[in-house]
Amino acid sequence: MQTPENPYLVLVLLMAAAVGFALTPLAAAWAWAHFFSPQKPGNDKNDTYECGLASKGDAWIHFRSEYYLYGIIFLVFDVETIFLLPFAVSFTGLTVGAFVAMIIFLVLLVEGLVWAWRKGFLSWT
Amino acid sequence: MIEEGLKNELQKQGVYVTSLQELYNWGRANSVWPLTFGLACCAIEMMAASMSRFDLARFGAEVFRPSPRQADLMIVAGTVTKKMAPLVVRLYNQMPEPKYVIAMGACAISGGPFKQGYNVLKGIDRYLPVDVAIPGCPPRPEALIHAIMTLQEKIRNQKLTGPDRPRHLNAEIEGEYPVPAYGKHDLEPPKNPDVWQPPTMTRT
Amino acid sequence: MVSWVPDKKLETLEQIKLRIESALPLTKLDILPNECPAGERSLVVDAGRGLAVAKFLRDDAQLKLDYCSNVTGIDWPEAKIKTKVKKKMLVEGVEKEVEEIVETLRSGHLEVVYHLYSMELKHGPIVLRMRTANRTDQTHLPSLTPVWRGAEFQEREIYDLYGVIFDGHPDLRRILMWDEFVGFPMRRDYVEPDDFEYEPTPHDEVLVEAKKHYPVEAKAEVKPEVKA
Repeated sequence: MQTPENPYLVLVLLMAAAVGFALTPLAAAWAWAHFFSPQKPGNDKNDTYECGLASKGDAWIHFRSEYYLYGIIFLVFDVETIFLLPFAVSFTGLTVGAFVAMIIFLVLLVEGLVWAWRKGFLSWT
Repeated sequence: MIEEGLKNELQKQGVYVTSLQELYNWGRANSVWPLTFGLACCAIEMMAASMSRFDLARFGAEVFRPSPRQADLMIVAGTVTKKMAPLVVRLYNQMPEPKYVIAMGACAISGGPFKQGYNVLKGIDRYLPVDVAIPGCPPRPEALIHAIMTLQEKIRNQKLTGPDRPRHLNAEIEGEYPVPAYGKHDLEPPKNPDVWQPPTMTRT
Repeated sequence: MVSWVPDKKLETLEQIKLRIESALPLTKLDILPNECPAGERSLVVDAGRGLAVAKFLRDDAQLKLDYCSNVTGIDWPEAKIKTKVKKKMLVEGVEKEVEEIVETLRSGHLEVVYHLYSMELKHGPIVLRMRTANRTDQTHLPSLTPVWRGAEFQEREIYDLYGVIFDGHPDLRRILMWDEFVGFPMRRDYVEPDDFEYEPTPHDEVLVEAKKHYPVEAKAEVKPEVKA
């Protein structure tokens, strides 16, 4: 059996087939919708929110800034978890220096939380 | 068009022949996604129908969508109060074509036992085109499954061309129905004459 | 199985009435009799003293009715009430008991009924009633929501369906009907919108309403069948 010039050519062909396989039904659906199904837009259908109640007011409204502070405080725990998991997995093989570095990192995060707590960001009103 | 006899003959030989219309309707009928939408006790039966014991998933209708933008089928399950009716019509308007309506239970059909109530709509067919109506108070999950199968049968037998083509292929049929407004004593208008034309009652 | 045993025996309604009238001067209470088998009688309070009486019922050490379980409205239209009264009369020279029907005119009013229980002392219910002066323009009653917070939505419902205006209610809006609605649908004289155009199986009042929608020709067509 003759090998092709480039061994990657088969992969490229397979890739093209796979993409075509995925895109053909989508294209067919789009073409069907475009050429056969008439568009029927309307006030209710084009409404911003899908809800039985009529939309009231503007979507561009002010949010309380506390909401974003909540998001930032959430990050404290989020980042902590990301680093704590590998730390815990490889805990037995760690050097004393790595352990101290991790503890410093944790203390910094906890300090951020304590700071936010004392500022009163955790109380909503 | 291929003849029915030749089609059967080919099928025996292991060759399946279909028309575009059949293929299209087959796909349409087996992916009817209902709107997660319950108004009263009939909704409990609707939930039961979608759960493991009755398993609506066998008919391609298990994906209850929480957004009207993704749903094909509105199961009006329960009493439609006059306060709720504009919301139901608006939700129907927000569903993309093709869309179908099943009126589930006596209340959705006619108001049921609450028909003479001051705040009960006497049937959702006054505002929306109902495809299948299920009698019962409330109907059993089997009845809902039967209604979905009836709807599928209806979809499969639709012709894609000609004057009887389905609503969503007919540009002349409006996609939205007017949402009734809250009036002083009743909804305004109290019915949509384009949708609801009751037979004249002549009694002696 | 006895599932619920009151800790103490509740005072009689007469005792409660006496204690309220001695504690709150200028307060006049009535006890409404009840002829049904349950025989649950109730206290009728003058609308002006309603709030004071409610506070007494809640705070009194022996009653402590801290839970308002239910608030109901009743519409009493003006009506002639026929009552049988036994009278002793001379009939043909002999004294006999004769039943005589007396008609009295009852003035129309709206009534609000509160069912009160005590969670702490595990007794109740005490039924408290208040009445408006009439059904048209003087439909004000004091709101008891400041006393029992749980009465808020139920008083809103009574306002919505009967039209009792509760003074002192924190948020008196319609709750079941839409805001644009005019009228009070649970009143006896409320006229429903006429939507009886399609009645396949009419009977009683519905038949009367549905007949208005019969085509005129159909009425003329009605002929008695003549047997040949």
